[in-house]
Amino acid sequence: MKKVLQITLGIITSVGGFLEIGSVTTAAQAGASFGYQLLWAVLLGTLCLIFLVEMSGRLAAVSKHTIVDATRERFGFPFYAVVMLGMVLVAFMVLVAELGGIGLSLQILTGLGFPWWAIPVSFLVWLLMWKGTFRLIENGASLLGLVTLSFVVAAVKLHPEWGSAAHGLLPTMPGDQKAKYGFVAVSILGASISPYLIYFYSSGAIEDKWDESYIPMNRMIAGFGMTFGGFLSMAVLVAAALALQPKGIDIDKFDQAALLMTTALPKWGFYLFAFSMLVACFGAALEISLAIAYFFAQGFGWNWGEDLEPSKDSRFSFVYTIIIFLAAVPLLFGVDPIKVTMISMALTAATLPLTIVPFLFLMNDPIYLGEHRNGWVSNSVVAIIILISFVLAAISIPLQIIGG
Amino acid sequence: MRLKRLLAVLNQIRAKSLLVVPLLFSTACKPPTPTEQMASVISWLATAGMAGDAWLRHTTPDKYTRQTLELSHDTLLQISDDLLKSLPPGIDTASLDNVLTRSRSRIAQMARLVEAKNSPAFLSQLDSLRADQKIVKQFSDSIESKQ
Amino acid sequence: MKLIRDVLDKKLIDLEQCDMGRVSGLVMYVGERSQPHISHILIGGSTLWMRVHPALARVSNRLAQLWGPKHKGAVRIPWTRVKSVGRDIKLDVEARETGALAWEIWIARHIIERIPGGGKEEVE
Repeated sequence: MKKVLQITLGIITSVGGFLEIGSVTTAAQAGASFGYQLLWAVLLGTLCLIFLVEMSGRLAAVSKHTIVDATRERFGFPFYAVVMLGMVLVAFMVLVAELGGIGLSLQILTGLGFPWWAIPVSFLVWLLMWKGTFRLIENGASLLGLVTLSFVVAAVKLHPEWGSAAHGLLPTMPGDQKAKYGFVAVSILGASISPYLIYFYSSGAIEDKWDESYIPMNRMIAGFGMTFGGFLSMAVLVAAALALQPKGIDIDKFDQAALLMTTALPKWGFYLFAFSMLVACFGAALEISLAIAYFFAQGFGWNWGEDLEPSKDSRFSFVYTIIIFLAAVPLLFGVDPIKVTMISMALTAATLPLTIVPFLFLMNDPIYLGEHRNGWVSNSVVAIIILISFVLAAISIPLQIIGG
Repeated sequence: MRLKRLLAVLNQIRAKSLLVVPLLFSTACKPPTPTEQMASVISWLATAGMAGDAWLRHTTPDKYTRQTLELSHDTLLQISDDLLKSLPPGIDTASLDNVLTRSRSRIAQMARLVEAKNSPAFLSQLDSLRADQKIVKQFSDSIESKQ
Repeated sequence: MKLIRDVLDKKLIDLEQCDMGRVSGLVMYVGERSQPHISHILIGGSTLWMRVHPALARVSNRLAQLWGPKHKGAVRIPWTRVKSVGRDIKLDVEARETGALAWEIWIARHIIERIPGGGKEEVE
């Protein structure tokens, strides 16, 4: 039973890591601009993530080491330092975007501009990390995250043409706006395959004290959790395709995205959107803050653990405290969270090889995984993901410039 | 050991190139074409229309509706300024300017009517805005065909 | 045993199963009449940054002079105190007595404990 309830780790990883301001914005943009044509990008991102998350959970359960532990030990400090630099910089930008997402959700609900919410929101995120336990964060975010199912309800109520939607699951080239199509596709993949997500999941497995007996459950959790997130992203895309595209509305600002569910769910659609975004971005902010703090603590060998009192893992607590309040600063100055989101998605795509390439080595290392090393199927999938990540790395910046 | 050293060197180079990227962003984004600008105009007019519809059906709060209408107005003003300077030949700039100015003025009036909670007058403005949207769409098709 | 693969960057665990950091460097003794051998494990200090670039090591030293615990250099653990080398390296020492947790304790006492809810860093 305890193992089945661990499904909450999968859901929070999904709600916080998969469905957040980046994936909602990019999915809504995709639907508003290209209808169903980019569903394949969400599907591809979901499949990649299922494999990567399963592997990260397996590594933690068998070796009792997180990906960061193993990266430092296997590749040495200089390599780890470069991965850390890339990952922390990009994750920090995503954290700014998520805190901004919470602020924007509160802005549309109250009318008070998102810069005013920067400090209170950061304080709340910090407080939950300071006083809360990993289990509280995990279960709380998962339960509240179920409100995001309203995207699915909205999409279904708009009566999509399932045949046309199914066609969207296969890649096709658009008639025009090829650069923008490419940019949105790259952004969707950058939003889906977020490295912080797999670092968080492997750390969560250690926090939840997994061992080898969790391997079958890990597969289920990774599969179910990431499918849940992918499904929700697809629902956002379909809802945007039906509610916004026919009117010619493109998503440039968050205020436009807020109209997503007002046709399908007249009475509650607006408020469900705001609350869903609030919860998703809050979960993501917690996850990213933890992921950054885990990265420092695990890499340098400090004490770490969300269940410990802050003074017992003082360096770990110090890092997330500094990070959260630093992330509020750009928002205080009115930096647009949506713009930060789009740039960070492209940068995530550009730095993916830094995470995925070492991961392939680790998943085949007998010292860490013994008989639970990757088989040919998993290795083939990682090889394909590495290929995708190099392609994304090469094209994401030019596409940001041309089509962004 | 050699592998560790080689990887470290390769990734130092990569890390330095990451620092260059934000500079590229700030200097190299290309300006939008008239067709793209017209698509933005249509998008923001439609946003104002959809926000207006939602408010009339009592599905969105007053503050959000007013702020979205004001945002639509300000964004349309910014786009119009650039658009009217870059139209291809053969487009009646004066007429387009006229309908865009009229639309913006209607949206501004709609924002004020939300504050006054005057639904009948708001509906009238919204209907007129829809008529303007159709004219703007015709201009957009014309511009696209000339590019 | 391969030092780079099996020792460098590995996590160190003390007598009481506490994490006490990672192996930042190794000190090798080269005597006139004896085989070269590892004499000490180094933890922390500027050793780590020296492995990336000497300039970073200088910056790290300068920053450490501005704030932090009194003992700022790398902690040296004699190789003779290593109990076992496996996934982690188990040591026959108590972390607190070695100075390996100096920064952890300093940050706990000077920053974390001053924030409400931070708790108390125990003195055993």
